[in-house]
Amino acid sequence: MIQYFKIVRSEFIHLMRSSFKIITLFLFLFALIYGCQNGYALFKKHNKEIMTINSKNQELIDKMVTQYEEIESGTKEKPRRDPTTPYWAIWSTPSYAFKYPSPMTTFSLGQSEQYGYYKRVTNWSTTFDSDLAEEIANPERLAVGTLDFNFVFVYLSPILIIILLFNIGGLEKDLKFDRLIFLQNISTKKWLFARFSFYFITIITLLTMLMLCYAFISGVFKNETSSFIILMLTTILYILFWFTVFYFVSYHGKGTSDQAIKMISIWLGLCIIIPGIVHQLTSIKHPTNYMTDYLDVNRDQVNDIFELSTDSLQMKLLNEFPNLEKTLSASDTSINKSIINRSLSGLVNILNKNVANEIEKSSKEKNNFIKNFDLINPVTAFQNQINALTETDYYAYLRYREYIQSKIDKKITLILEDTWNKVSVDKIKYIEYVENFK
Amino acid sequence: MINIIFNEWKLFIRGRLFLYSTITFVVSLAIVVFLGIIQNNNQRFYQSKAQKHVRQQWENLEAMNPHRAAHYGSYAFKPINILNSMDSGINDITGNVIKLEGHVQNEIVYSEASQSLSISKFGKLKSSLLLQYVIPLFLIFLAYGSISREKETQRLKLLVFQGISLSKLTTAKSLSIWIYGLLLLLITISTQIIFGKVDYQIFNRLILITFSYAIYYYIITSLATYFSARFKNNTSALSSVLAVWIIWTIFLPKIWGNTVEKIHPLPSRQEFKATMKEDRSKGIDGHNPTDKRREELKKKYLAEYEVDSLKNLPINFDGIVMQEDEEYGNIVWDKHFGNNYNILRKQKVLYQVLGFLNPFVSLQNASMGFCGTDMIHHLDFLKKSEDYRRYLIKSLNDKHAYGGSKTGDWKWTVDTAFFKSVSDFSYKTPKIGGFMKHYFIDLLCLLWWALYITTMIKFKVNKDLVI
Repeated sequence: MIQYFKIVRSEFIHLMRSSFKIITLFLFLFALIYGCQNGYALFKKHNKEIMTINSKNQELIDKMVTQYEEIESGTKEKPRRDPTTPYWAIWSTPSYAFKYPSPMTTFSLGQSEQYGYYKRVTNWSTTFDSDLAEEIANPERLAVGTLDFNFVFVYLSPILIIILLFNIGGLEKDLKFDRLIFLQNISTKKWLFARFSFYFITIITLLTMLMLCYAFISGVFKNETSSFIILMLTTILYILFWFTVFYFVSYHGKGTSDQAIKMISIWLGLCIIIPGIVHQLTSIKHPTNYMTDYLDVNRDQVNDIFELSTDSLQMKLLNEFPNLEKTLSASDTSINKSIINRSLSGLVNILNKNVANEIEKSSKEKNNFIKNFDLINPVTAFQNQINALTETDYYAYLRYREYIQSKIDKKITLILEDTWNKVSVDKIKYIEYVENFK
Repeated sequence: MINIIFNEWKLFIRGRLFLYSTITFVVSLAIVVFLGIIQNNNQRFYQSKAQKHVRQQWENLEAMNPHRAAHYGSYAFKPINILNSMDSGINDITGNVIKLEGHVQNEIVYSEASQSLSISKFGKLKSSLLLQYVIPLFLIFLAYGSISREKETQRLKLLVFQGISLSKLTTAKSLSIWIYGLLLLLITISTQIIFGKVDYQIFNRLILITFSYAIYYYIITSLATYFSARFKNNTSALSSVLAVWIIWTIFLPKIWGNTVEKIHPLPSRQEFKATMKEDRSKGIDGHNPTDKRREELKKKYLAEYEVDSLKNLPINFDGIVMQEDEEYGNIVWDKHFGNNYNILRKQKVLYQVLGFLNPFVSLQNASMGFCGTDMIHHLDFLKKSEDYRRYLIKSLNDKHAYGGSKTGDWKWTVDTAFFKSVSDFSYKTPKIGGFMKHYFIDLLCLLWWALYITTMIKFKVNKDLVI
């Protein structure tokens, strides 16, 4: 143990004397802070945008309430889009589906820049609407990528490790005094392990301190403590993975240059080449979906519904929504065309849901294909694991789309029930709708 | 100098590792280019299938009112350039489908990146990935010890005493490695020419690509040999040149990319939509019969045709209103989207300026620009699709107005023959000549770096370093 501490102490002195390594360490820390700051800025930006939308919605609600009061007191005539009908009342009920950012976003922007995070939900909405497009951004900047914590950690920490470790064991071989060291009653393995462990502890300590600081700043410990702990364990595991790989390189290395070349080649292979191969293979096996099935539903199949006669539409509606049988309109002898017309979104929604399921299914197959490579593509696997913990991966946005769909369904159910029950909407009923979509 | 280059190559060929690496590189490059072409053709097939499918639907439309057809609309699918197989640029992260319809200008959606988990942060394994990251690194490995090794073995002193100029030796050593990089580059380009469909335009682009990469390789090899000459030993030379490489390829592009967006900020989507909606509301609302501006337009047309009511007009006033609504919408679009595009162009120029500090950025910009997969080409596609949307909707509105129907007759229809007569959307990658101004900075930066590093070798590498 004393020997171990002696080695660690001399390694500390070696580090302090190497200005190149110290500068690199500071550069890495700067990149980490810059990355966390970018994540934290996006977290705040999303929250701010959501608050702005909410306050605009409140203005709209107040305006609508005033309109109801004026109509009820007789000071105003009903407008073209009559708010006393459930259809237009629900249409005018602001209902946004938000993907609230997790405070963990500080540690990874993940795929958040490729998706929208707020959407106005109407009874005609779908989960693939163009208003769900990502935030306006420079596509070249997106292609280059943002320097977030995840990127710095996943791609740059191995480089830092290379810079810290490339001459360990190699320098002694270059200067030919390696045998002199092993005369001192220590094995190569133990000697390398002791020196490597110093850097391992240094990096982990720095990472932990920084992550804890940003976790406190962004409020991770309010609700996301378990995710943060898993993230911490993931970071330790990832650093350990690279240390293990480089340990073997140093152990079998022939000198500083040989080790440096091997280490950087391994980094290149694991961080750039293998993910690039997987990306290319995925593209060949699962080409970009041009969403023609979805587009067909949106135009042709919806058109077909509009072409149907009122009788057929009523039958279709009663088939798809059996609850409507119990409503006031269902018991009427004559068909009310306007009620049928206001219910059409229910039928369109079913078509949209079916095609959305197919699209999600094909994306799931694509994701499974990507995951099959996790063992030989560990860097991407770690990167996606961090994205998952920070709720910025594909699945987080899939859950968001599911949430949007549930809101659409809720809107349609309300429109159908109240329209078919011939409900007249007043101020109180409108407030009830508002509460329903909060 | 030629003798030194010849001698260096003799040494290279003698090395087994060099031979194995070369074979690996040549085979990998050929496979990667070939796979890139397959993937590209695959994607082009799906794109063309989708475009044909949409056109077929349009041509088979049943008789309907032109305005209903405007709502039915059409779609433009972003075509894939042939050179996308070399460098996909921004194509993986931009959308691929844009709906073209009346009243609204939609945005391009459904990017490849949004359809799956994140994979590679450096893009697909296309030849650009090898040419930008792997080959330069290999050239560094070949070059970093070229002079310092001679120093360590004291051979350099011998050479200097024999009267050889150290700067000439450095240049020759650098050139010999550069030639190797050039060969790999030419193999890649030749494979692209053999397996891809190359016309005159594509050939021009390939020449520019070759030129850009050749200069970059010259910069990299010269820098590595320069460091090799300046530093005391191999290790210092290698660690310094690797540090520069990491800063150039990983650090600076990302940090500067973010900074540029902060210097020229884009509006948020919410803000953008709100201002556009506000401006749009100042025009005619084609679907609102009580709109005041509609009344004014009505009076104008009644006076022009000298009739007292809309029903006496020989044309369909609804079509006129719809087109007026469109024209106003177009002005609003030009203003707001134009503003965004200007910001994006400013951001691009500012990003390109970084090339004076970092030639990798210039190479990356030039590579995707010449491959036709950068933002400039993307914006061109968006502009052309918007132009087509305007043509499509105007054709429909004109038919609605002047096709023989009367105002208020929404049941009046046009037949399939008319829909077939409306031209289809077609987009061809523009000629590079017209776009060269956008890449001038990149080429200038690369040339500046080549000149700078040559000057450094010429004046900073001398026998004082040895003696």
